[in-house]
Amino acid sequence: MSAEDQSKRREESAGLMKYSAENLVPFGPIHPALKEPEYFKLILEGERIVQVIPRIGYVHRGLEKAAETRPWVQNMYMFERTCGICSFVHSLAYGQAVEGLTIYEVPRRAKYIRLIIAEMERIHSHLLWVGLMGHWAGFETLFMWVWRDREVVLDLVEAISGNRVHKSMNAFVGVRRDMPEGMEDRIVERMKFLVDRARYYKEIIDTEETMLERTEKVGKLSSETAEKLCAVGPMARYVGLQKDVRLNDPYAAYDEVPFDIIIRNEADVHALLQLRLDELVASANMISYAVQHLPDGPIRVKIPPIIPAGEYSAHCEAPRGEIFYYVKSGGGRTPERVKVRTPTLANLPTALEILKGQTIADVPIVLTAIDPCFGCMDRMSFLDTETNRQWTWSGEQLRQYGINYYFPERAKKCRP
Amino acid sequence: MSEVLFQQLRNYAADANGKFTVLRKGEVTVEIDQKNVKGFISRLVNDLRVRHLSTMTGLDLGQNIGIIYHFSRDKEMIDVKTFVPKTQPTAVSIVDIVPGAILYEMEIHDMFGANFEGNPWMDRKLLLPDTWPADLPPPLLKSSKPNEIRKRLHLEVEGK
Repeated sequence: MSAEDQSKRREESAGLMKYSAENLVPFGPIHPALKEPEYFKLILEGERIVQVIPRIGYVHRGLEKAAETRPWVQNMYMFERTCGICSFVHSLAYGQAVEGLTIYEVPRRAKYIRLIIAEMERIHSHLLWVGLMGHWAGFETLFMWVWRDREVVLDLVEAISGNRVHKSMNAFVGVRRDMPEGMEDRIVERMKFLVDRARYYKEIIDTEETMLERTEKVGKLSSETAEKLCAVGPMARYVGLQKDVRLNDPYAAYDEVPFDIIIRNEADVHALLQLRLDELVASANMISYAVQHLPDGPIRVKIPPIIPAGEYSAHCEAPRGEIFYYVKSGGGRTPERVKVRTPTLANLPTALEILKGQTIADVPIVLTAIDPCFGCMDRMSFLDTETNRQWTWSGEQLRQYGINYYFPERAKKCRP
Repeated sequence: MSEVLFQQLRNYAADANGKFTVLRKGEVTVEIDQKNVKGFISRLVNDLRVRHLSTMTGLDLGQNIGIIYHFSRDKEMIDVKTFVPKTQPTAVSIVDIVPGAILYEMEIHDMFGANFEGNPWMDRKLLLPDTWPADLPPPLLKSSKPNEIRKRLHLEVEGK
């Protein structure tokens, strides 16, 4: 078949894939602990992927619209519920955008507490991700170990804020709760434990055959492409771009607390694993430094419920990359417009680009690599342009296919 | 660093008949006519190396739909503002200059009904359900009422 015929056929098959009503998942309450529905259509040529079409929005609840009818303060705790993993950083970015419209300055102690919570969130998010990578690669032991260690940081978060997931720590111009008395030693000791564990996991991923085979030279990306597609966070840093809001535009106490910025150049999923584990160590060191240098003083300034008119955009570095909030106030009790951009949406075009040319077996690894808020591969449909055969797999079937593809001899052992 | 960038921006904005405003330290706004947007962004990306598009925001401005391109380079944030009339909401796509804008344009298309000429995925939906009725106003316009949406999409909750 000539190249022209092939491209024509590709176009035709794309045309065949108009979304039908059968694929619709209605808006609805979805438990945060479950996998989130994201839908990708992969167009294949034999085993290779040539085109990926995303379809998101199954859990779109209209938060931006809802924000327009709610008071400023209420919105802070609503936006915290945008995500069940990086919840604190949502309220932080929204809070900073609103604080930008007022004349008040955040107290120094509150800035440090914000940094501590934000970094703890990064640790727990990165650990969660490393565990998931183990799960998708067929290395369940790693998943179990990492998620056990994740409890360490969740317990600390609970001790400070009273909650494991939605911390509700932020308030306008400050934080709601002070650090409990006598936590310092415990935090430093626990951080040391996490650093040791991170070093151990790094040793595992560098030597374990399962991880090496599945991640090395998978998910290659050039830095030009990443820059063009506006990749953020670890997805930009693993190809050598120096994109980190904490460094480029410091907020909270990031200009006072020293930290290492981790940049890799290998540009494969293995480098991403190393990068996230190194960042975990950097975060742990930052937390230890911050609790030992925590300044005294007030934690909060009370402000009136009406925010002056104006517009402000704020960005923060969430565990997954830059998070962006734009706030427009008309001078009333509710915002006129709030715009939320989460890092997963920014990284989606990059992920689609990486997937092109990969095999089906690599799909779970590559999609999880961008750390989508629980990359869900359920209900993925396939279309082979050579045979025009179309079929659908669940996430579990796809995971099993990936494991069998790389390690046929382990196929039976891995079956759940 | 940022002074040089902003001075150049001021000149470019003047070339494109745009209005240059300093919002605060490190953040500027360029208000510009829709037909000059693509040329301006092309110079921004290629000459000034402002490569990172954080996102695009849609706004309901009464008669018009506002579009803000949030660019950033390190500490500096550059907002390029434009608008299209609601009666003829056609904007020019910047996907060929900034490929990362593709999903943001789709989002504004879904939420505000603005069309981006040149975006290859404009006929697809990104966030709205496939069964979204064509005669309902796009959800983030002020004329769109949540109760109406619930009713039309059969999402009513008992007792509400």
